[in-house]
Amino acid sequence: MKKNRYLLVLVALLALALMAAGCGGAKETPKAAGGDTIKIGFLGGLTGGHAHYGIETLKGMQMAVDDINSAGGVNGKKLEIVQGDHGSNSSEAANVTQKLITQKVSAIVGDPTTGITKSAAQICQPAKVVLLSAGAVGPGVVEIGDYIYRDTLLDAVAAPAVTRYLAEDLKWKKVALVTTTGLSYSEGLTSIFKPALAKYGMEIVAEQSIMEKDTNFSAQVTALSQKQFDGVVFTGYYTEGALFMKEMRKQGLNQVMAGGDGLLGKELYELGENAVQGSMVYAGFAVDTQNATGKTKEFIEKYKAKNNNALPDMFPAQGYDAVMLLADAMKAANSSDPTVFKDKLAQTKDWQGVTGTITFDEKREPIKSPVYLQEVKGQAFAVKAVIPITQ
Amino acid sequence: MFWQQFWQQLVNGVTLGSTYALIALGYTMVYGIIQLINFAHGEVYMIGAFTGLIMVTVYKVNFMVAILAAMLVCIPLAILIERVAYRPLRRSTRLAPLISALGVSIFLQTLITLIKGGPNPLAFPQVIQDTVYVLGPVRFSTVQVLILVMASLLMVFLQFTVKYTRIGKAMRATSEDYETASLMGINVNRVVSFTFAVGAALAGAGGVLVGMYFNSIHPFMGVSVGLKSFCAAVVGGIGSIPGAMLGGIFLGIAEVMGVAAGFDTYKEAIAFGFLILVLLFKPTGLLGLPIQRKV
Repeated sequence: MKKNRYLLVLVALLALALMAAGCGGAKETPKAAGGDTIKIGFLGGLTGGHAHYGIETLKGMQMAVDDINSAGGVNGKKLEIVQGDHGSNSSEAANVTQKLITQKVSAIVGDPTTGITKSAAQICQPAKVVLLSAGAVGPGVVEIGDYIYRDTLLDAVAAPAVTRYLAEDLKWKKVALVTTTGLSYSEGLTSIFKPALAKYGMEIVAEQSIMEKDTNFSAQVTALSQKQFDGVVFTGYYTEGALFMKEMRKQGLNQVMAGGDGLLGKELYELGENAVQGSMVYAGFAVDTQNATGKTKEFIEKYKAKNNNALPDMFPAQGYDAVMLLADAMKAANSSDPTVFKDKLAQTKDWQGVTGTITFDEKREPIKSPVYLQEVKGQAFAVKAVIPITQ
Repeated sequence: MFWQQFWQQLVNGVTLGSTYALIALGYTMVYGIIQLINFAHGEVYMIGAFTGLIMVTVYKVNFMVAILAAMLVCIPLAILIERVAYRPLRRSTRLAPLISALGVSIFLQTLITLIKGGPNPLAFPQVIQDTVYVLGPVRFSTVQVLILVMASLLMVFLQFTVKYTRIGKAMRATSEDYETASLMGINVNRVVSFTFAVGAALAGAGGVLVGMYFNSIHPFMGVSVGLKSFCAAVVGGIGSIPGAMLGGIFLGIAEVMGVAAGFDTYKEAIAFGFLILVLLFKPTGLLGLPIQRKV
């Protein structure tokens, strides 16, 4: 009998733990349903490894919804966000997307990462729900279908522009290239950097690959320490980037790294401390207090007021633009039915957002300029260069 | 050029291996006594790392106090796990406590994730002056030396305890024959608790050292390290204390060399590859004794 009691307690505790783990799904907002609101889904991680992207994107979306609703809404209806948190878990993302669709959202904004956007797109396209990613920068996203969009600067144009800057302004000649294998974003970015590096006359003297969630990079760094190079091109995320740089400093290597917006997160300098000082990250948006004008300036001020004077990075700005883009397309189509307003969305041209001017080309890819190269300075990212994109 | 890199990779491998060894010691002892693979051992190590982090960030203690605190938190935790999840199942089938161990492991991961508010990694602050020494072709840091020294000292201490003390004698008797030992007046429950306590103390210390070395800890850090340390214990010869140490260092070197040779994608598979090889060709492990069964 006594034995059974122990077992029961254990089973109960386990069940509790599993329930707690399963709570990360879509959250139903109490005043849901009814024809007087237009529901926009948020798909992203509010917890987990890429939580920063999701939390910030959602903040921007909420700001846009507040702005729109206080100005009278869209076609006489209020906007409402339905949250879907997948906990940075790609296997969970499909369920959360499905759940958002059953909650009758008109469009989904998300996911901030390329890999999850692609898998969510496979569900949204047949379900005829517009998916607008506010962060996917890798290849192979809008190709999935005519319901799939994004409002970010593409790696395919940003990475070559940054490469030119590394070669011409920083005079880098030899680089080490580090890829996170198995990570769609990183492998995609590496495949863009490789031809770009060759085009601007830079030589890849060493190539190393790492894995997501690794913490020990001693072997890879030792292999790099045998080579002469001017800098590291790192295509993975901030956690691994920070730890990789720490290991480099430990082994006496002083080069800085340059990489994409996967490195953009406060965790980069929080984890990396001194090792990441001077490292460069490019993104489609940066707070450029000197040159910001109009909408962008207004957005920055509003964000600061709501977030204890913190400055926004690209994620809230892109989240804000994503909701605004959808709202404008719905207004133009006078409908919140995705099968109707998606055509208006596709025709977006010279649209002014807080992240710059957006035009969807004939392949529905966004054309944006410029790219902001930012540098880690102390406990912040500072704009190092504003690189125009010429297409 | 090649040799310079070789020696440096060897240093990397020995450091990584020492961390595996510290945790493998816990697996090997528990298995030696009650033939249980304690799959929650990796989580004890994770909780040790978090305890160390809380000690150095909230209470601003030095690292020795942090290690001590981690050990002191892990000991009652492991004893509690044994009491709640394993002891009631000691007379059931061999599979029951194993499944129970997996359950405890998931429970602890989820619990820490909930308390911490998400699985993203936390930075471990620099608690000691991590000086880098250059010796001929290799560079190594204070933390690396610390890990190796701690692992070696703890192993020697453990070997001494098992060989020459009263409780050690009781442990060996219990591992030899559980039933007879208890008939001879040995309090086997106390022996088992002691074994769990020692293993947990080592894992807790290991967690803090690894936190200091890799600067990042998260609620799932025990999973892969736990499995690899288990492999290390089997490769070295499960039940053998020097075997765990040897197995850990062997696998650490194998992993680092594997990555250096370009098999980085298969990094996680290297330990399991060796596990399979050892089980196929020398099931008792490198230092394990052949099993003798009296008929």
